Amino acid sequence: MPAAKVAVVGDRSSVGGFRPLGFAVFALASPGEARDLWPRLTSGEYGVVLVTEPVYEEIDDLVAEAADTAVPAVTVIPGAGSAGGVGEKKLARAIERALGTTVPIREEEE
Amino acid sequence: MPALRVNPNRMELLKLRRRRQVAQRGHKLLKDKLDELMKEFLARIGESRSMRKKVERELFAAYGTFAIARAESGSASLAAALASGHPQDLIEVSERNVMSVRMPHFTLGELPAPGGYSLVTTPIVLDSALDGLAALAPRLIELAEREKAIELLAAEIERTRRRVNALEYVLIPQLDETIRDIGMKLDEAERSNLTRLMKVKEMIEAQQQ
Repeated sequence: MPAAKVAVVGDRSSVGGFRPLGFAVFALASPGEARDLWPRLTSGEYGVVLVTEPVYEEIDDLVAEAADTAVPAVTVIPGAGSAGGVGEKKLARAIERALGTTVPIREEEE
Repeated sequence: MPALRVNPNRMELLKLRRRRQVAQRGHKLLKDKLDELMKEFLARIGESRSMRKKVERELFAAYGTFAIARAESGSASLAAALASGHPQDLIEVSERNVMSVRMPHFTLGELPAPGGYSLVTTPIVLDSALDGLAALAPRLIELAEREKAIELLAAEIERTRRRVNALEYVLIPQLDETIRDIGMKLDEAERSNLTRLMKVKEMIEAQQQ
């Protein structure tokens, strides 16, 4: 089983805390920098790439390209101070792709 | 649907009939696969959604604790404290096969114990913030795995549906039409042959009398 790293991409205050835990942290001054970083993230060195919401919104076209390959698994996490809900949007896109239409999925009871 | 351009003879007719049979079998198989993929897909969506909600909530809580730590120690010394540690191979990647879709499976190894920062200059709340994040890490990885699985399934469903539709609405009707055409042409040839024979027979009988 190949070992892989976990990358966290986002602004400093959101992703800083992951560094002592052994995550590969890429702290960006602006979300646009992720575009230059992307080839490195998809090189296969990283199995999971966590991106914060502002970063995802900047590079969602690149993320969509990577959707069909097994690694890396790109997942959106909310950044500190962002509203949330972008991850849902990413999921909704997958649903639209599969079903050909968007359907409101009922909320799971908790 | 325009018919295929083939020679209208018995040989082609047999070949086309066989092709149609194969196409129909393939269509049925693919349709079954599509149904099964759909079932798998819809089952995963609900789970993944509620999981994402939980993870997001806990992540916000962790950010909150970090914010408190930052407020207590100042962002410079917090940044210095968080500069400790270096990227490690945290996960093992293996592959699982679900309905011929290969999806990654991540196993999170041991997280390194956070440390290497001064306990004197950093507030105690930093330790609990890091603990909280460490506790969240396995679920973050699992969420990533689940969402990846959903994306891969979605791609496979899209591909399979295209194939099913191509067979159902293009290839099979085309074959049917061609088979019908050839059948009619062969019948027509048969009839004209028969009348020719009858005509010849008539002429021979007229000659003999």
